[in-house]
Amino acid sequence: MHRLEARGLTLAYESRTVVEELDLTVPDGAVTVIVGPNACGKSTLLRALGRLLRPVRGEVLLDGAELAGTPTRKIAQRIGLLPQSPVAPEGISVGDLVARGRQPHQSWWQQWSAADEQAVTEAMARTSTTELAGRSVDELSGGQRQRAWIAMALAQDTDILLLDEPTTFLDIAHQVEVLDLVRRLNRERGRTVVAVLHDLNQAARYADHLVAMRDGRIVAQGPPAEVVTAELVREVFGLDAVIVPDPVTGTPLVIPGAPWAG
Amino acid sequence: MSLPLSGHSVARFGPASFLVHRRSVAVAAALLVLLFGAVVASLCLGESSVSPASVLDVLLGRPSPDQLVVGELRLPRVTVGLLVGLALGLAGALIQTVARNPLASPDVIGVSHGASAVVVGLMAFGYVQTARQVPWVAVAGGLAAGLLVYLLAWRRGMHAQRFVLIGIGISIALSSLTSLFLTKGDGLQAQQAKVWMTGSLNGAGFDQSGYLAWVLLASVPAVLWAARAQRSISFDDSTAVGLGLRLNRIRLGTALLGIVLASCATGAAGPVDFVALMAPQIAVRLTRGAQLPLCCSALTGAVVVVLADLLARRLLAPVELPVGVVTALVGAPYLMWLLIRSRRGGS
Repeated sequence: MHRLEARGLTLAYESRTVVEELDLTVPDGAVTVIVGPNACGKSTLLRALGRLLRPVRGEVLLDGAELAGTPTRKIAQRIGLLPQSPVAPEGISVGDLVARGRQPHQSWWQQWSAADEQAVTEAMARTSTTELAGRSVDELSGGQRQRAWIAMALAQDTDILLLDEPTTFLDIAHQVEVLDLVRRLNRERGRTVVAVLHDLNQAARYADHLVAMRDGRIVAQGPPAEVVTAELVREVFGLDAVIVPDPVTGTPLVIPGAPWAG
Repeated sequence: MSLPLSGHSVARFGPASFLVHRRSVAVAAALLVLLFGAVVASLCLGESSVSPASVLDVLLGRPSPDQLVVGELRLPRVTVGLLVGLALGLAGALIQTVARNPLASPDVIGVSHGASAVVVGLMAFGYVQTARQVPWVAVAGGLAAGLLVYLLAWRRGMHAQRFVLIGIGISIALSSLTSLFLTKGDGLQAQQAKVWMTGSLNGAGFDQSGYLAWVLLASVPAVLWAARAQRSISFDDSTAVGLGLRLNRIRLGTALLGIVLASCATGAAGPVDFVALMAPQIAVRLTRGAQLPLCCSALTGAVVVVLADLLARRLLAPVELPVGVVTALVGAPYLMWLLIRSRRGGS
């Protein structure tokens, strides 16, 4: 049995349907990346997997139980999520931010345990934010801030991690740094990761399981080497492209065609 | 034990553990000392000056020649001021936390206007006859206005900006209504209502305001709960839900607590404006924490009201100003500064 599953999922904002009758099984212990053009419903799907959006029809199952019927705190002990543009309390320090990831494991009379201490210290070490602990989140660079948020999600110590475009607003070096970090977490700690990414090449490089969406439906899914083809890129993004192997990793690399180059 | 989160300590009692922000504790202690000083000063100064030693005698229940002036005349007034300040500071911190906006406070989002409109309406037309009835009427009016704003701002969740804007709109509507009652009401009663409207501790006593102490005492568990929830509601909605928070329930509970406290304070002393707006912002600048400190906001509110009332009594002595006039004199420029700063793209 897989831990996170969507069955017959229909999602809508107000009366506008964004995702229709979608089925998805998230492979355990792997990195799943969802790609697709703007407004294809990929972020909406991720929000539903993280119970931020209630399905109109269908259900999301976590360990076989419907997400909508599970106490939100219990979900928070198993699914950690990092939204697209999270907002931190004004003036909060990095250490305090990461520590708040422990909320689902604490109670009113148990505000700080040895396990909290360990999880926070470890999350900060893994994301190289230990030396930033006393700094205010407001004054960090984009890359540092994103690492701090990931550290907070890690401190939550969940088996499943949902990341909504974790590389947006970062320069290329920081994008790679964040994605390498995500990949390491998965390889070394066996975390299940589901991420929405904009960049198809990065998706192909970091995903074990690639999900390509268009108009609220899944067009193709599987290992990137099988999924990313010239036909798929045309079908999903409406782009003519050549696929070559990535010279470093051997994963598919999408090179857009250049009609103007004669 | 060294903590990764700087500035905090852990207090352990058996299996229980509590996170303590050290600077907040120090600030609270300093505010308590300041508050005690303000209370003693307020009891000393007046038409006839009383020595601090004599004031202490009265406070400790020892026989004193100043028992009448200090114990019977000044103490009830100062106590009510202190309670009103505590309640307003706390209410301001709670409402500003829910709205995530330093502009939001019970006197901006309609709570005190609601209380005023109902009290003035009933007073001016002679339905409220005794001072004892005023608090109940004020609480009902404040609650009704606060809940109305909350319901109107609710659309599949609480949006902070909408909450403030609708609150300001409702406040303006209620102010006009209050003015209408004042002009249409019976002469003498309308005059009485007008005095109440400026927020005065003149003649305030335990019998009509003592309930405030009980309300504050009863709200202690709720405040402790809110202080814990506060750690997560200052995030964006998605992150807060991701951390396992029942966001809507917590927002409603926090707002309701703030509305009840502000209504009760208004019932005891009339609308004492700007205290709820200022106190939490002063307090958070002192504690430099990542959320509005509830306890320190309450203490700051108490210091502000006690000092403002002292000024109100002594500034133009022997004429006594209503305390609301003094807080408004300080608070209005502050509100303008906030507005100017936020227009320049501040938070």
